[in-house]
Amino acid sequence: MNPAVEIQKPSLLKFWGSRVISAIAAIAFCAGIQSLGGPLADNEFLYRIIVLSGLYVTLAVSLNLINGITGQFSIGHAAFYQVGAYTAGYLTVRMFSTQQIGEVPWLILMCLVGAAAAAITGLIVGLPSLRLKGDYLAIVTLGFGEIIRIIAINIDEVGGAYGLSIVPKIQSPWLIWALAILCIAVCRNLLKTAHGLPFLAVREDEVASSAMGVSTTKIKVTAFVIGSSFAGAAGALLAHYEAFITPDMFKMEVSFIVLTMVVIGGTGSITGSTVAALALFLLPEWLRGLKEANGDALVVSAPQLLGATLAIIAYIALARRVRDHYHGKPIQKAGFQFGVAAASLVLFFLFKAVFAQIGGLAGHEGWEINSLRMAIFAAVLIVIMLLRPQGVFGHHEFSWAWLKSLFVKKKQEAS
Amino acid sequence: MANTAEQETQATLDESATPILELADATIKFGGLTAVDSVSFTLNKGDLFGLIGPNGAGKTTVFNIITGVYKPTSGDILFNGRNIAGLKPEKVAQLGICRTFQNIRLFGSLSVLENVVVGGFLRKKTGLFSALALLPPAVNETTELRKKAMDLLEVMDLADVAQSRAADLPYGKQRRLEIARAMATGPDLILLDEPAAGMNPQEKEALATTVRRIRDDFDKTVLLIEHDMRFVMNLCERIVVLDHGVEISAGTPDIVRNDPKVIEAYLGEESE
Ligand SMILES: Nc1ncnc2c1ncn2[C@@H]1O[C@H](COP(=O)(O)OP(=O)(O)OP(=O)(O)O)[C@@H](O)[C@H]1O
Ligand SMILES: [Mg+2]
Repeated sequence: MNPAVEIQKPSLLKFWGSRVISAIAAIAFCAGIQSLGGPLADNEFLYRIIVLSGLYVTLAVSLNLINGITGQFSIGHAAFYQVGAYTAGYLTVRMFSTQQIGEVPWLILMCLVGAAAAAITGLIVGLPSLRLKGDYLAIVTLGFGEIIRIIAINIDEVGGAYGLSIVPKIQSPWLIWALAILCIAVCRNLLKTAHGLPFLAVREDEVASSAMGVSTTKIKVTAFVIGSSFAGAAGALLAHYEAFITPDMFKMEVSFIVLTMVVIGGTGSITGSTVAALALFLLPEWLRGLKEANGDALVVSAPQLLGATLAIIAYIALARRVRDHYHGKPIQKAGFQFGVAAASLVLFFLFKAVFAQIGGLAGHEGWEINSLRMAIFAAVLIVIMLLRPQGVFGHHEFSWAWLKSLFVKKKQEAS
Repeated sequence: MANTAEQETQATLDESATPILELADATIKFGGLTAVDSVSFTLNKGDLFGLIGPNGAGKTTVFNIITGVYKPTSGDILFNGRNIAGLKPEKVAQLGICRTFQNIRLFGSLSVLENVVVGGFLRKKTGLFSALALLPPAVNETTELRKKAMDLLEVMDLADVAQSRAADLPYGKQRRLEIARAMATGPDLILLDEPAAGMNPQEKEALATTVRRIRDDFDKTVLLIEHDMRFVMNLCERIVVLDHGVEISAGTPDIVRNDPKVIEAYLGEESE
């Protein structure tokens, strides 16, 4: 048994000291990212993915707030990414030249605008579906992700299917990572204070939560809106970094990849989401290499969409399992779920083989690696779920105390 | 513990004037089944009140309509004079009624201490922003809530397992944790749904002492459901008996124990 715990106020020095150190570390990190541009000038691709991986960290950590910490089931995070990107991008195109604002302040302002737009959208989408019990949020967010993309395709004002070119190009690599760090800090702070407990309580048991005075709808909507607004801010930064956005950049595949990051990292663990986001974003990008063929968008997207759909079926089956695991329920019908997951994978490879033939005839190879990526994700997901349903990190978080304990233990063993 | 008879007379003499909870013809129907049928009873402040009846009598359903899990089909539920029928569960908890669950519903993967802090969080004063920015008000309040939770764990004799995962506790301790968590919300009225279920005789003994303490030292009013007759009869000063949703008897343990209707209801259950 654990000894009784002494609960003390953190000393002022420790409290402010650790915050100052964290702030300095964050600033140093962002400055480091910014200045990497120099040495990596001749390896533009590498620098680009290092910078952009910050966006995926933001996306995964913010989705983790909704799905992992609060236990909801949003599977259309890309929609909010898109809302932020289009809102901010469009405003820059229309208004930047007429304002007397510096580039960085403008970019920060656009982040806030993107976040606000995504937050409002999140409220509209989340409020009705989160009031209901059950997986309505999954269905609604999935549908919404597609709807918002199709809307963008059909509005010529924002470039339609062709996309929106954002001039002037305002790139700020450090800001992308500053947002990621802010997102991590906000989630960590939430879990460090008692204010995070109602979120976890809702994940654990809604009936018991409301009996303890927790307004479950309010908590779920709060998590959803905060999570969505971070995705919106990330979208705003993406739009300006790329200086060109198309509806294709916000396909279901993006939502699916972010979901995979959260599940693999360990739903609920911020550390897990961060590490998984980096690993899953950097590795395939690295593999893809410099010579990525941009291909014909239509031919590229058909097998991808199919792959994504099948992979989502697999995902839903597996995510249910994770949820049962949380609630300490015996895992029911696991065999069936794995059957579905395995069957969808087999189907996926079958379709892929067929499309590979067609693609080969048409002379397109660009999508090969891309759709294979989806298959690899799905396969990794299944392996993880089998071996470790709570994700790689489970509910654990990185902490200095943990790091210290590793060394202290080693010393004790040595002596 | 002091003489219960003495306390009872005291209760009926001094405090009968302040009812805390009144059910007036409370009825709920699930489709064709009337789970609770025109049930009326009154709890006074400081009561230690029992609700008994055979399986499926509607006892838990009475808790569910008091705490807002279900809205009664008809009838009123007055808490401190205010009709709370149909209010949301969180609202009922904020007003000062908290409960435990027959089929334990702890926050399984949270620690024992965190479970109790969730209860205490109801009375929080700082806002979400303060927490997200890790400002001193939220940090200090967190420390205070944890301290208060720790005190409650001492009372419930759970201090030594404060850092364990709630789901890892043995059954008896989980039941006590349910009570600690409910107490943390700072209720005036606490509803215990079969708190002694699955406990051994020693644990039951300790539980009875704790429940008396909750009433005497913490000034709570207690309404409890229990199947163990000895436990209820020794602990509660007044009892209501339900059978098939209908109130068949009410009064002191002695009256209830010797009521032919009650004996019949329980015998009926045994022969079923
Ligand atoms: N949500 C519901 N829908 C339909 N019927 C219900 C519902 N909740 C309870 N019932 C029915 O109401 C009746 C009373 O159930 P309740 O759980 O209140 O009994 P109880 O007195 O607590 O029994 P036990 O001692 O077994 O806990 C039962 O017949 C039960 O099946
Ligand atoms: Mg019951």
